[in-house]
Amino acid sequence: MRRNQWKIAVLFLLPYIVIFSVFRFVPSVGGLLVSFFKWSLGGNPKFIGVDNYVNLAQDSSFYVAIKNTLAFFVLTVPVLVVASLLLAMLLNQKLAGRKVMRTISIIPYVLIPSIVGIMWNWIYDNNFGLLNYYIKKLGGGPVFWLTNERFALVAVSIVVVWTYIGYDMILFLAGLQGIPKETYEAAEVDGASRMQVFWHITLPLLKPVTMMVSTLTLVNVVQLFDQIYVMTNGGPGTSTLTMVQYMYTSAFTNYELGYGSAIEVVILLLLMVLITVQNRIGNRERKTA
Amino acid sequence: MKQPRWIKPLFYAVVILACLFFILPVVWTVISSLKPESDIQSYPPSWIPAQVTLSNYRTVLEKFPYFTWMANSLIVAVVGTLGILVASTMAAYALARFHFRGRRVLYQSIIVMLLVPMQAYVIPLYLMAGKMDLLNTLQGLILPSVANVTSIFILHAFFRELPMELEEAARIDGAGEFRIFWQIMLPLSGPALSTVTILTFIANWNAFLWPMIAVRQDIMKTLPVAISQYWGAVNQNASFQYGTALAACCMAVLPTLVVYFALQRYFVAGIASSGIKG
Repeated sequence: MRRNQWKIAVLFLLPYIVIFSVFRFVPSVGGLLVSFFKWSLGGNPKFIGVDNYVNLAQDSSFYVAIKNTLAFFVLTVPVLVVASLLLAMLLNQKLAGRKVMRTISIIPYVLIPSIVGIMWNWIYDNNFGLLNYYIKKLGGGPVFWLTNERFALVAVSIVVVWTYIGYDMILFLAGLQGIPKETYEAAEVDGASRMQVFWHITLPLLKPVTMMVSTLTLVNVVQLFDQIYVMTNGGPGTSTLTMVQYMYTSAFTNYELGYGSAIEVVILLLLMVLITVQNRIGNRERKTA
Repeated sequence: MKQPRWIKPLFYAVVILACLFFILPVVWTVISSLKPESDIQSYPPSWIPAQVTLSNYRTVLEKFPYFTWMANSLIVAVVGTLGILVASTMAAYALARFHFRGRRVLYQSIIVMLLVPMQAYVIPLYLMAGKMDLLNTLQGLILPSVANVTSIFILHAFFRELPMELEEAARIDGAGEFRIFWQIMLPLSGPALSTVTILTFIANWNAFLWPMIAVRQDIMKTLPVAISQYWGAVNQNASFQYGTALAACCMAVLPTLVVYFALQRYFVAGIASSGIKG
């Protein structure tokens, strides 16, 4: 009984589709349009073709921003994927109190990201911060985590890892629990070692989850903004200036909305490229394995 | 595969260390917020406060429009969540259960937006909100949050799994589509709706970039934005008071923690399901 129900469907869909179109779809497409204009706040927008992109290509700050975004990606995504997988495998064991541990591990993800930034500012504080106190106790000198160009990006990366590790762990845990017990029992009968089981059963079966976790984490890291704004605001110098930071500054501090839109377009392109590359690498590994 | 005897203690050790890593920064924040400023900026730092005081909290509440910010945050998060519950539930139901042309394409063009973060369309959104006089208003913060995609994803997956027979039986009894939705399907949807509620409430409560851009007036700000502008990097100087900053932070995360602990079962299920089928 296949009936066409489009009339009732329209009624059900209408509120969502209207809001979705106005506040999400149109802006997503409109960004490309705005990027072809010299669009300052107050002044009349003027069509300038691809000039914004030409200027971007010659803007050294923009290259710094791309470099920093990629640096955040390299410093956080692999650590997050590996550490959260290991943690998930631990919590997949029969350990007493593992529910409590699961609950605790997601707390960082639930907290307001900008406030997480302030919490860590205090921990990283040059003079009275907890971290420097313990480093000193172990015999090291104080590290100027957020005010030294060499450390700021690492310091923020640690916070990113702290925030997302529990979230990624839950995704892996769900994946691990989806692997049927019989598979492991069969391997045991065949006399497989722990390492063999991990490399030849767990990892291949977990592949879709791993790809998904990497993709989600990648999206989360590329769009990183709140913590950076609160912790370093892109500094010191330009050492933590990311593409999103630069977009924000261009559009809402310098009021170059067209220029900012061009950066947004590049952010989206970079995101798509990274996702594609990551998935390619993942799929190639499966073939060679 | 027999486990060697030393392996369980090792597992426990690693897991406990990991948990300490997650929880200690939060505990340290709470402890510090309860110390007078002279004890906060003192050396060495101590885990047990010599003197417990609420003076930082009093300062935050007396010297700043903290309750106004909190009210703004609450209105935005609650109304936004309700809006998502109504709009997304109906839309996801239609996309999952009704037969009409273009259903798949429509669903996919919504879902693909999961990969397009707010950061990639916030400027046009700002221009449009300006045209519609939504800047510096709470509606302007709520409406864009209702265009939520994760909820569609979760609810669509849930409605697809509900057995067809329920619907067919009701239809034979002469029930209209709306009654089937309202009286049969919705009462079955408790878990999925709880998941969406907690995920979207926390996302709305934590929202930062859009509220910061859309609202410039101090008394219209939400907590994350107001706190970050008074106590974040933009405002750090020599006389910076960590006590007030941390007290403001603790009060702001309290509601999320309450919601999280109350509904955490659904939260975990929500994260897991929003991933697995994606």
